[in-house]
Amino acid sequence: MAEQNATRFEQLVLPHLDDAFTLAQYLLRNQHDAQDAVQESVLRALRYFDGFRGDDARAWLLTIVRNYCYTWKKGHFTDRSTVSINGDDTLEITDAHGADDLAIQASESERVRAAVDALPADLREVIVLRELSELSYREISEVVGVPIGTVMSRLSRARNRLADALEPLSKRAG
Amino acid sequence: MTCTDCLESLGPFVDGELATDEAAVVEEHLKMCADCAAAHRRILATSSQLKAALVRYQAPDVLKARIKASLTDATRGEPGRGELRPLVRAKAWPRMVAAAATVAIVSSALTFAAMRQSGSRDSAEQQVLASHIRSLMPGHLTDVASNDQHNVKPWFNGRVDMSPDVPRLDSIGFPLVGGRIDYINGRSVPVIVYTRRQHVINVFSWPESAAPDQPSVVRSNHGYNLIRLAHSGDELWIVSDLNRAELETFAKLLIAAH
Repeated sequence: MAEQNATRFEQLVLPHLDDAFTLAQYLLRNQHDAQDAVQESVLRALRYFDGFRGDDARAWLLTIVRNYCYTWKKGHFTDRSTVSINGDDTLEITDAHGADDLAIQASESERVRAAVDALPADLREVIVLRELSELSYREISEVVGVPIGTVMSRLSRARNRLADALEPLSKRAG
Repeated sequence: MTCTDCLESLGPFVDGELATDEAAVVEEHLKMCADCAAAHRRILATSSQLKAALVRYQAPDVLKARIKASLTDATRGEPGRGELRPLVRAKAWPRMVAAAATVAIVSSALTFAAMRQSGSRDSAEQQVLASHIRSLMPGHLTDVASNDQHNVKPWFNGRVDMSPDVPRLDSIGFPLVGGRIDYINGRSVPVIVYTRRQHVINVFSWPESAAPDQPSVVRSNHGYNLIRLAHSGDELWIVSDLNRAELETFAKLLIAAH
């Protein structure tokens, strides 16, 4: 690869590592896996960089990260919630009741995190892309590979579920 | 505007995805309709709750170093991760080993006298630890970033008076990310940097002439584990916040690969 091409790649892609790592963290819920996912995705991005014609390198990188995470999860179908060697993995919440129980004792951010983790992946990813990375609907549609209308309805469903999960306690507190 | 239409537009309205005229219609409706206004507040509240409480992660320095290392390899067209290496390099390599080995032997002999300082070990421990901690600060980890020992090892030629061993241990879970030079006990020493998950492992080495091979000694200092050992006339220090058992495994693998 030509030197200037490599420089252009670094300038376009590397500023978005935080967004890439954030998405991978919320999709894989394990920071080691998330690191691997981002590293692999950047290498893939480099391989396909010649074919990159768009103007939105962030959405492009996030698309690759997202696809990598989904493929990775398919390949590691075993239930990871029982395999925490270090104890520093994020808690896996597999059902809403578990999330509720946990929420009662947890601090605000843990409570919100638990509610987000309890969402199915297709709702979780639009929330992360919108609320944390602040992507536009068009960008989210590009990353997730669905029409804008679907992005809209998923966001709406995700927010409704989160509002339901988070409301009872805030009402009690208020 | 009907309430159904309004409720459907609330998400895009909150996210600033509506055209100005569409947004104006929604705004009008919200002024008149208490139910829709409540739904609007609910979305706003949820959204700000998420923004405030959720972590927007920062890519750790170790990850950045790993990516930088693999990019260096990839853009040089030198596959760093188990792929086939071009034949030309394979031919050049033995010559480089020979040259490096010569440098190492000559320099060990030359520095024989200089290394017999008493009390240097305790101070070495302090200096090695300080160097390790400093290396974890942003931008200090590597002078040469690469997963490929054939990039890292030759980089030291002419920069330090020895040629450090740079075994490749990524297949057993300790990927190489690069190397750098530090200043320990009054001399420039090569440091080889490996990682284990998110942990950085720094391997310092310098010629310690007369010392016979010694088994490793593990110390713990400020939450870091330090392993000191002597091997083939070199003194090695291995430093990391990795747990003791895994670091000892690493030390064994490293020596076995030397």
